[in-house]
Amino acid sequence: MSIQSQQLDTFTYDDAVVRKFIIATLIWGIIAMAAGVFIAFELASWRLNMGLPWITFGRLRPLHTNAAIFAFAGNAIFAGIYHSTQRLLKTRLYSDFLSNFHFWGWQLIIVAAAITLPLGYTVSKEYAELEWPIKIAITVIWVAFAVNFFGTLSRRREQHIYVAIWFYIATIVTVAVLHIVNSINIPVTFLKSYPVYAGVQDALVQWWYGHNAVAFFLTTPFLGLMYYYVPKAANRPVYSYRLSIVHFWSLVFIYIWAGPHHLLYTALPEWAQTLGVVFSIMLWAPSWGGMINGLLTLRGAWDRVRTEPILKFFVGALTFYGMATFEGPLLSIKSVNAIGHYTDWIIGHVHGGTLGWNGFLTAGMLYYLVPRMWNTKLYSEKLANTHFWTGFLGILAYVVSMDVSGITQGLMWRAVDSSGKLVYPDFIETVIRIVPLYWIRAVGGTLYLVGFIMMAYNVYKTIELAPKMLVSEKQTAPALVTDIPKLFDERPHRILEGLPAVFSVLTLIAILVGSVIEIIPTLMAHTFVPMNAKVRPYTALELAGRDIYVRESCYVCHSQQIRPMTSELLRYGKPSTPEESMYDHPFQWGSKRIGPDLARIGGKYPDLWHYRHMADPREVTPKSIMPAYPWLFQDKTDFAVLSKKLSVMRTLGVPYSDKDVERAESGAGRKGNHGPHRLHSTPRAHGRRGCKMNAQALCHFPMTWLTCIAMLIFLSVFVTMFIRVFMKANSELYKRMERLPLAEEEDRHER
Amino acid sequence: MSDEKNEKLTDHDYDGIQELDNSLPQWWLGLLYLTLLFGAGYYCYYELGSGPSIQDEFASEVAAMESKKTAAPPSLFPEMPKLVAYQTSAEKLAVGKTVFQNRCVSCHGDKGQGLIGPNLTDDYWIHGDGKIGAIAKVVHDGVLDKGMPPWVTLLTDEELYSVTAYVKSLRGTNPAGAKASQGNLVKE
Repeated sequence: MSIQSQQLDTFTYDDAVVRKFIIATLIWGIIAMAAGVFIAFELASWRLNMGLPWITFGRLRPLHTNAAIFAFAGNAIFAGIYHSTQRLLKTRLYSDFLSNFHFWGWQLIIVAAAITLPLGYTVSKEYAELEWPIKIAITVIWVAFAVNFFGTLSRRREQHIYVAIWFYIATIVTVAVLHIVNSINIPVTFLKSYPVYAGVQDALVQWWYGHNAVAFFLTTPFLGLMYYYVPKAANRPVYSYRLSIVHFWSLVFIYIWAGPHHLLYTALPEWAQTLGVVFSIMLWAPSWGGMINGLLTLRGAWDRVRTEPILKFFVGALTFYGMATFEGPLLSIKSVNAIGHYTDWIIGHVHGGTLGWNGFLTAGMLYYLVPRMWNTKLYSEKLANTHFWTGFLGILAYVVSMDVSGITQGLMWRAVDSSGKLVYPDFIETVIRIVPLYWIRAVGGTLYLVGFIMMAYNVYKTIELAPKMLVSEKQTAPALVTDIPKLFDERPHRILEGLPAVFSVLTLIAILVGSVIEIIPTLMAHTFVPMNAKVRPYTALELAGRDIYVRESCYVCHSQQIRPMTSELLRYGKPSTPEESMYDHPFQWGSKRIGPDLARIGGKYPDLWHYRHMADPREVTPKSIMPAYPWLFQDKTDFAVLSKKLSVMRTLGVPYSDKDVERAESGAGRKGNHGPHRLHSTPRAHGRRGCKMNAQALCHFPMTWLTCIAMLIFLSVFVTMFIRVFMKANSELYKRMERLPLAEEEDRHER
Repeated sequence: MSDEKNEKLTDHDYDGIQELDNSLPQWWLGLLYLTLLFGAGYYCYYELGSGPSIQDEFASEVAAMESKKTAAPPSLFPEMPKLVAYQTSAEKLAVGKTVFQNRCVSCHGDKGQGLIGPNLTDDYWIHGDGKIGAIAKVVHDGVLDKGMPPWVTLLTDEELYSVTAYVKSLRGTNPAGAKASQGNLVKE
């Protein structure tokens, strides 16, 4: 930083938007965690599903994950990024309008998600379930965020960018790439679309996205926040600048490759699986680099950890981060994955990261921010300490119960006796064994939620104490005058830090390398998937049924992917092959077996078995924990849309003939209507049928229309706003860019 | 940890945050190199070298399982004398009833009156002649086309005999709500 004789600029920070994001974090945090607690109890007791479609586990689980990741963590990230970026760059956010547009747009997206997911509008790709209009809205808001962020960068009064900013850049660039590539869908109707990818390709693209949602939405932004708030709160220098450099680049480069570890032992080509294993193991040290740099920054402040809740939360967060990033590579080793995959171990692993790392870091950050943003003192330190210990106990109960449950069930599934028979041939035996652990998990989650509510209350009381008028203090800083020769005199990475545009491009390249190498060959499907004539596309009626399977999110509890292992051969049949899902837009391989695999369930039982099982799973499988699906017996299926669906599938490469498309409606209608009559006329068990079907007196049909209208209004307002803002912002941005020293400097650099 | 007094600060200052110029911790760097080496070795072994593929490993696992199976003595099921003896043993029939209640009622009804699967109490039989040997065969091997599982993978021999005897004993019980007869009339 050159302190020359230039004039001092006077400016203020935009803290209003930070305050808004803080409030949103708390509100959505409670909602996301409450949804999580509720579905945890649903697994412990199926009765809580109450026969209502909107609150069944399948529909609420995506709501919980989306709310926790994008609503809770998302708002926390935005609060922290907007607060710290202004201070690290000594400038006000680029545009107040964009900040507010970002804030309100994001909240509207969350509301849209909270309405559509329980109604069953889902693409059924994990953490990317939202239907296409909402996906477009996410893209728009993310672009607004990016323009606002990079605009702020361009107006900075610091020559060099701090490590926190590096991580923010990586986040913004990569999330944009991930979201766009994984969201390429062809719409069928306003709230229904099919992904362009099928089967193996869809699986790879999805888990490249899914894994890196963890990497670039739950890791890199939080590492950035850590690099600002930990040294600030501890008032200690960052342990090692060099470690920051090495672990940043290695993390960003390596993380993007590791996605296939979610698909070990599946029909994914083996070279991609091997890359997933290898890069996951190599990710261990880069991840720990962040933990070490954080924990060692706290040297000399350890005595304060005992008393200050903020530091307690940071130590907790970093420790859980270290544990989760050790467990991750461990679970990626094939022989460990063989036991852990599809089980609760993964759920325990994920929650160690989210509750421990993301939740605790957010809590520490909020306890730091709230008194400063509202210009007052925290209402109760003691309550904050109680929050820490309650949350900590909650995480322990959660993680330990899920790890035990996962390993227990994983071993039970695999157990084969000396005569070559499964020791636990009935899947339900392995479920009954872990139900007590589901109770412990639910209690653990409740404890964590209670702790979080303590924080919300604490913040509420703190705000009550705050002065009514909040005035942003005037800041002064010298204007940035880039001295190019001096800049290029520095260490190589230091030069890069002075050139954020170049830095961003290099980051983009770093994440593209792994992405391109893994995805492009897999997309050239024909080289891997033998065009097997035996695989026929779904009939129109089957497709209608498959869409119901998707709507009810059956994939959250059932896989459709049999792994090449003897225990699975005995339990489910021969391993799944790539061509079997070649027409599956989207793929339904699943990632969890709360119930058994369904890849070869077709034809195993008579239709009546399934019919009764859907009405009440416990009539055919005593002690089953699956919810009942009474509404499936009354809902009309829309056959009229089937021709459209088939024709969209045909554009995606599914070989339907003109005749198939033409006759989709009538054919499905004839067969579909025939089926239920036959099934209805068959006697029911114990004469219990009938009374059970009343549960959904509430009809969700009118709700559907309301949502559509609301979404339409929302979208049109949105698009007009976006066009206006973007054009204005663009012209301003370009004007400013011309005046920027940065532009010249890059020119010179190129020459 | 290293002596803090000897640490050098960089000249960086971001909103009051300073950075030390410490070198990378040796053990961390070691871990990084070790995993990079392991990764390279692993990839070379499995993808370029002679490492077995997942399919190879699966094939040898299956072969090992098969070889174990042939080593086991062939099943003599059903042994007719044993079956006949079980039919008159109250104790065995009670065992059979328990097995039936646990395994069979969801498809055949709690009294064998038929539900998803056929009525077991009438004189009509779809597979075989309704004699105890034929029942034993269906219980043992299942009827895959119709959704009847092969119970040999789930039940012990003792349970198979008992439940077969119990099913045989249901014939002619005339329970309420019986399912319409299916298959061929077989007079005893």
